[in-house]
Amino acid sequence: MRPALLIVALIVFAALLGPFLLPYDHASIDWDSVRVGLFTDGHLLGTDDLGRDRLARLLVGTRVTLSVALAAAMVALVIGVAWGAIAGWVGGRTDELMMRIVDGLYALPFMFVVILLMVVFGRSILLVFLGIGFVEWLTMARVVRGQVIALKQRPFILAAEAAGSPARATLLRHILPNVAGVAVAYLMLTVPHVVMIESFLSFLGLGVQEPLTSLGILVNEGAEEMDMNPAALLLPGGVLVLLIASLTIAGERFRDRLADATK
Amino acid sequence: MSEGYVVRNLRVCVGDHVIVEDISFTLSPGEIVALAGASGAGKSMSAMTPFGLSAGVASGSARLDGIDMVGLPERELSRIRAEKVGFVFQQPLTALTPHRTVGQHLHEAATQAGGAKPTTDVMVAMLDAVGLSRPEERLAQYPHRLSGGERQRVLIAAALAHGPRYLVADEPVSALDAALRGEIMALLVRLCRERGMAMLLVSHDLAGIEHHADRLLLLDSGKVAESGSAKQIASSPATDYGRRLMAATPRLSEPLSPLPETGEVLLEVEGAHVHFPKPGWRRGRLDAVLDASLTLAKGETLALVGGSGSGKSTLGRAIAGLGPMASGTVRWQGELLPPRQRRSAEHRGLIQPVFQDPLASLDPRWTIADIIGEPLRWLAPDAERHRPAQDLLEEVGLPRDFASRKPASLSGGQAQRVAIARALSANPEMLLLDEATSALDPLVADGVVSLFGRLQRERGLSMLFITHDLALARRTAHRIAVMEAGRIVECGSREELFANPQAEATKRLIAASG
Repeated sequence: MRPALLIVALIVFAALLGPFLLPYDHASIDWDSVRVGLFTDGHLLGTDDLGRDRLARLLVGTRVTLSVALAAAMVALVIGVAWGAIAGWVGGRTDELMMRIVDGLYALPFMFVVILLMVVFGRSILLVFLGIGFVEWLTMARVVRGQVIALKQRPFILAAEAAGSPARATLLRHILPNVAGVAVAYLMLTVPHVVMIESFLSFLGLGVQEPLTSLGILVNEGAEEMDMNPAALLLPGGVLVLLIASLTIAGERFRDRLADATK
Repeated sequence: MSEGYVVRNLRVCVGDHVIVEDISFTLSPGEIVALAGASGAGKSMSAMTPFGLSAGVASGSARLDGIDMVGLPERELSRIRAEKVGFVFQQPLTALTPHRTVGQHLHEAATQAGGAKPTTDVMVAMLDAVGLSRPEERLAQYPHRLSGGERQRVLIAAALAHGPRYLVADEPVSALDAALRGEIMALLVRLCRERGMAMLLVSHDLAGIEHHADRLLLLDSGKVAESGSAKQIASSPATDYGRRLMAATPRLSEPLSPLPETGEVLLEVEGAHVHFPKPGWRRGRLDAVLDASLTLAKGETLALVGGSGSGKSTLGRAIAGLGPMASGTVRWQGELLPPRQRRSAEHRGLIQPVFQDPLASLDPRWTIADIIGEPLRWLAPDAERHRPAQDLLEEVGLPRDFASRKPASLSGGQAQRVAIARALSANPEMLLLDEATSALDPLVADGVVSLFGRLQRERGLSMLFITHDLALARRTAHRIAVMEAGRIVECGSREELFANPQAEATKRLIAASG
């Protein structure tokens, strides 16, 4: 748990504070040093072919990727928990109907849906994470529904009913707090997944727009010049891999610990 | 080579923890020795570890027909187990591999020690010996087709398939229905006697052991508290632990202890009907309770007794307004109580439940004080809200500082007392006790039962005591109602019911508990 969380914390920390510490921002052009190599003219990672500081772009790109991922995961959390909790709690035909809708949405090729959204509504960072969130909540809803159904059969829910607790109060005070752990664990696993989707969309040119950047765009740009300047591909790629791997490991650890604790 | 299983100074450790220490006993051929005691006393560990079937590490000596099994490599142990010993475990529902037929299980069991492949006739004979009906058909059946009792019979047949000299049975009947327990125990004992097999029996059910075992070892926190002939320990235990354990075990033969006086009739249930939709597409109807009627007076305990699936819990929940009721009436002092959701706070407070699994009936994220206070929040008028949780904790025999704890830090018995305190905080007239003591250890359960007795005397509470344990019902209840397949087949005072049982189901239950 420790190393994975530490790496995530370091990356988040650098992405948040790093840009303030640099004399350059991600969009301004240094006309005196266009396309210079590592450690030249005060540019630690050099500049790209427009003379923009690569380190600043890497930090800002990480920040954008992370915030899109977090925002999309939150969208998934809110919709998924609400949908799953209601389906599981009410049960019966309502449950059947709500879960068939989820199944139906699963069947749509979601990349296609996101791309279609982009094409119809134009590119915007808001749309990117809304689009991803709308896809990611499906699994969250299934996970939460399963948990709620399991919890509903526990005697303490029956005891709450005997104590006169109205159904809504039972749901809010007994069910949701007990689902929270699992939902958070799943949220932690959703974030790296969304990071990957966002990077993929950006790589295709469907993500955020210039001059704003993201890890996916940086990987795309780096791939074009990898024969001359491999660092341009390896650095954003490395950060991406590290981020996804550490987030996944941390999330899985958290989920396993939770499973042990609730046994 | 000396025959028999001789254990001397057995000590079992798991990691740095000493689980059991200084256990010595001898199991001669054809003899039945029982290990009994509270849970955590180390019964299963002492029985299983020498055979290499637990996480523990044994030291001391355990000689089976002269071969010391302590320290033997797993290969050797495996050979000894396969040749000489049969094992029967507690969980008949999970101990059979779901995708293999009964025949395949028997085949595997018979050939594991290099024995000859059994013919169909041999396997049919095996199933016949354990009392399974239609053994020819059973061979081709998968485990899910069998009931719990049938599965346990198959497991016994498999344990005996290779003709072992020794049988180790770890709580072989505790997962089964009360009515089945007696049958399966009798079967095990008969098989031992017929085949001259020796059995090492692990059980917490003292009432069951005393009729069947030759000798008995009472374990208390990893040590032998008392050992000797089973009959002698049962009738006159020598140690304090033995006496407490025996006193905590209800028996049908014990003298009836007096119960508090009862008052006027409070609860009248008439013609209660409960049914559920069957799962699946073609929704049929599953009748859980049919035309059940009963009454309960102030300060009275009525025991609702029956096998699992007899509808006793469903009926109890319908009465308390916690489950559906299709038709019939529930009256409280002549006033009609509406079903489930439409019950007012005042009516809900009258009947409060205590369930079987104490830890699962407390929300793990709440503090004890919040749990106990939950009914007050919804049911009590404002003026009465101020009775602190601490007072209730004291009333159920727990320290006041438990209020700030979480359920995970409680033992089963403590958790059950918290659940009782929660029920009491609504200031009920009646408690619905749904197998409220059956998940607890004998000593702890006895403590909870006497708490119910005290509460009844002090508060004049009426109790509907749902249980599968007829002897416990006889000890605690004024009247007993016997349920079978959704109907109340017989209801009478405890004296009458045992003196002159009418229904077949009652007679069977009495026989099984004897």
